[in-house]
Amino acid sequence: MSSRRSRSRQSSGSRITDDQIIDLVSKLQQLIPELRGRRSDKVSASKVLQETCNYIRNLHRQVDGLSDRLSQLLASTDTDSDQAAIIRSLLME
Amino acid sequence: MASLLPQPELEPSPDVSPEFRRKKRRKTEEKPAYYHRMQGNQRMNRWRTGREQQIYSSKLIEALRRHSPRTSSSANGNDVRNTAYRVLAVSAKGTTRWSRAILISRLSAKVRKHKKSKVISANRKSRKPASNREKRKLPVVERKLMALGRLVPGCQKISFSNLLEETSDYIAALEMQVRAMTAITGFLAVANDGGAQPPADRLGSNANS
Repeated sequence: MSSRRSRSRQSSGSRITDDQIIDLVSKLQQLIPELRGRRSDKVSASKVLQETCNYIRNLHRQVDGLSDRLSQLLASTDTDSDQAAIIRSLLME
Repeated sequence: MASLLPQPELEPSPDVSPEFRRKKRRKTEEKPAYYHRMQGNQRMNRWRTGREQQIYSSKLIEALRRHSPRTSSSANGNDVRNTAYRVLAVSAKGTTRWSRAILISRLSAKVRKHKKSKVISANRKSRKPASNREKRKLPVVERKLMALGRLVPGCQKISFSNLLEETSDYIAALEMQVRAMTAITGFLAVANDGGAQPPADRLGSNANS
């Protein structure tokens, strides 16, 4: 049922033009550190999209690892309130 | 906006109504393209400023300190992650779709937890998209676009240019989040080590020499 609905929707507006793809590819390429150095005509659209997905997943994984580490650290620093003051003053440089 | 004043009974809270009308307009029509392009880069670049990172770091620390005394047993990694994403979404100030989607999903998760209803999520996951066996393989680019849309929260079925906007903003925000959390972790580690090891080493070396 859902595939039939998506088919009818595709005919109306989501035909993606080549210009849009080129635009998307060039813009995403600037964001991803891996692909920034390469020339835009050598990188295909699917590669840019793939690298974008990988990069976002990578960032998610980093956040997960950092939050695990933070939770461990927080469990051991719960006591002092002046430590929190130290942290805040360090951050507010 | 002038029409609101002579008819106060239609809108009960007139100070909320301009935003209300803006929200209604957003549902029916897209914002013009120039608005996106002009403010898109500015919006993205705010994630790169040091000030934004400081704001986020302080908000995150506040939120974490508020959470941890309550659940003294477990400073859970998942809780920290959800708090981090929530604070990040709040920092976006509701301008982007992914931030709104994060906040809404947190709210609905809380509601679902209170009601203890398990049926909804199970139905959504068991739905099979290719049940008809039509063998319509979408082109590679479109498939990857859909995958990208699934990664960015709340961006599964939006238009192409919107997805580009949201993706670039989301990536910039995630990068800032990683930088901020790395800095906080570094500081906490230093503070931990400084507090946990009293200068007994110095005393020991003095006694030896």
